Amino acid sequence: MARAPMTVRICYLYPRLLSVAGDRGNLLALIRRCSWRGIRYSVTEADVGEVPDFAHADLILVHGGQDREMTAAARDLAAKAGALRDAVEADAVVLAVCAGYQLLGHYYDPPDGPRLQGLGVLDAVTEGGPTRFIGHVALKCDLGSGNQHQLVGFENHSGRTYLGSGAKPLGQVLGGAGNNGEDGTEGARYREVYATYLHGPVLPKNAWLADHLLSRALAHRYQDFGPLAPLPDLAEEQAHVASLRLARRPAGRWRAAAAALSQIGRTLAAPAATGPDL
Amino acid sequence: MRTIASRSPGSSLAGKAHVTPSGQARLALALGAGKAAATASRVLRFGGGTSFPGSVARRMDPRILQKVGAATDVRKVIVTGSNGKTTTCRMLAALARASGLMVTQNRSGSNLLQGVISAAVRGMDLRGRMHAQLLLLEVDEATVRLVTPDLQPETLLITNIFRDQLDRFGELYSIARGLEAVVDTLPATATVVLNGDDPLVASLATRTAARLVYFGIQADSSATQAPEHAADSIRCVRCQHLLTYRAVHLSHLGDYQCPECGNARPGLDVAVTAILPSPDAGFDIIVETPAGTFPLQVPLPGLHNVYNAAAALAGVMASVQRPPEPAEARRAISGLRPAFGRLEEIRAGERKVVLAFVKNPTAYNTTLFEVLRRPGLKHVLAAHSNTVVDGEDFAWLWDVELEQLTPQLASLVISGTRAEEVALRFKYAGARPADLQVLHDRSTALHAALTQTQPGESLYIFAGYTPMRELRSIMQRRGWVASPWEE
Repeated sequence: MARAPMTVRICYLYPRLLSVAGDRGNLLALIRRCSWRGIRYSVTEADVGEVPDFAHADLILVHGGQDREMTAAARDLAAKAGALRDAVEADAVVLAVCAGYQLLGHYYDPPDGPRLQGLGVLDAVTEGGPTRFIGHVALKCDLGSGNQHQLVGFENHSGRTYLGSGAKPLGQVLGGAGNNGEDGTEGARYREVYATYLHGPVLPKNAWLADHLLSRALAHRYQDFGPLAPLPDLAEEQAHVASLRLARRPAGRWRAAAAALSQIGRTLAAPAATGPDL
Repeated sequence: MRTIASRSPGSSLAGKAHVTPSGQARLALALGAGKAAATASRVLRFGGGTSFPGSVARRMDPRILQKVGAATDVRKVIVTGSNGKTTTCRMLAALARASGLMVTQNRSGSNLLQGVISAAVRGMDLRGRMHAQLLLLEVDEATVRLVTPDLQPETLLITNIFRDQLDRFGELYSIARGLEAVVDTLPATATVVLNGDDPLVASLATRTAARLVYFGIQADSSATQAPEHAADSIRCVRCQHLLTYRAVHLSHLGDYQCPECGNARPGLDVAVTAILPSPDAGFDIIVETPAGTFPLQVPLPGLHNVYNAAAALAGVMASVQRPPEPAEARRAISGLRPAFGRLEEIRAGERKVVLAFVKNPTAYNTTLFEVLRRPGLKHVLAAHSNTVVDGEDFAWLWDVELEQLTPQLASLVISGTRAEEVALRFKYAGARPADLQVLHDRSTALHAALTQTQPGESLYIFAGYTPMRELRSIMQRRGWVASPWEE
């Protein structure tokens, strides 16, 4: 007898408030990768003033926003805090990006304005810095499994995050600034919470992480859950490799000089008309 | 409304006390070098001289913009904002010419510091005399704070603030803070023209001494229900409560109010009171202004062009002594063709190429919906590159409603230095993996896309600034289209 199809229950926090850098693509990556495998999904959205049933969520998403939106989210999160903490301790999977990451820590001190209290789920604190870290990032991470993976994306943050002993970094920076530009760490993890500064959005071009989150979410719900069926991920892999190349290229100044020289060379050498005729 | 002093044409800067003879000589040197650079770059075929002359001239005379600003015999108008700068400038120039003025402008999209100086270099003779009576500059929203204090414009027009190239500017609100600081420095003799329907733009002028003019849409006919999910700044600027809209026209632009603190859309000085789609893809609109009622025919598709027309009309009224009569204005606006890459139609032999310049989610969605309204399946070439102009971060592509395009795809070719990123987005938007043809080389990509387009059909190109210029110059070399600076 065929068993009933599995369902993963996704809770998407602040879809309107914290939605600035295409991060809704993370949700899209998860639900498409479910559909392609015949796994069912449900998505519950919870904005300001709505407290979802976290006990029934397998996978919780919380994304980035600008300081103004983050302040509103921090205020609202207090009402959601208890149930969300319980879900984390019960090994629900959480992906937190950028401001979402900062809000899961103990606090965030913005450069201008009062301290924002976080949830304290992650043993991490964030301080506003004078400059922004903007650019491509690559990390190496093993998530404690011994399997080496690379994670690629784009960071854009002025907050400097420092981890305490209760949180492990998500990975070590290969290119880019990471948590604070000093200690070579990026992101944080605790139980099944995965927090990062990486946009891109991060899941489509890191299909391995999307699948890791999905399989942990299914394991949260189904004891007898086996490995996920592999997918043809050619476009994902090509985008991953392209981003990796961007994150690991030499420093900006040399890059700009080389680009300018090759542009001049091309311009002087270009024939009057190129390309096939139609 | 202020007036333009009558003057003899081409009075020189040398007569002004604060430009010394050595300063004048330096300026002449800078202008001469800039003009030589412009000629050299055209002869050597590097890009038609849109920014190189400016960088040469500035090297020779770092104070060149201040000296242009000191020229009292020319009115200076700066147009800035996220979207609509180029089209607003084209409309404003047409309206100013309709009222009998000569206009000097910077070239389409060439709106960083060097491009602005290049325009000034081109418009002046070696003694620093401006031929035109109106110097109209499209200026990038981050560059405007470098240009405005030196140039001292009589009019500053802000079209809107959308999320655009966040990796370059950091955050939406820091763009707003930067613009607000610029607006604050303007004297009482200047006029600031603001989009009243944009809550962020309307909030910029709380402290300035300058005269304020608000434009916007007062008509309900085109209103949609709720802001799209790419919408920005839908929280109250003062108290951060969610804004409510009586009407939303485009993204977060509309008739808004804050239920918490009472902050609301300001009264409009230049208001579009009626919008009727016209049969040929544009709009017939009625604009009420202090100088009378203007029935205009906007020949460009997309509601954003209604905003551009209102902005241009408000801008011309703030800047010229005798604004055009309604009939002159109507003739000027109805005669416009789409700007470079704004759904520009190009004949490619038996095929047609429609060029759409897309640089942020709002601009992309607006253009996309316009294309989706057209019947039939679409052949598409999508191209994005990471450059200084186009930025490095393409996360915003995930806020574009490409899910609505994929069911209408006849063929798809993807190009540019970030082609893999674009291909991935199309895959998750529902394009079949077998249809994702990545061809990095722009010329090869254009050839492949046109090969799949049958005679009589159209190829739609959605591209960022740099790949669009590259694709357009390939078409130029084939003789399908003139160079943008020859039009």
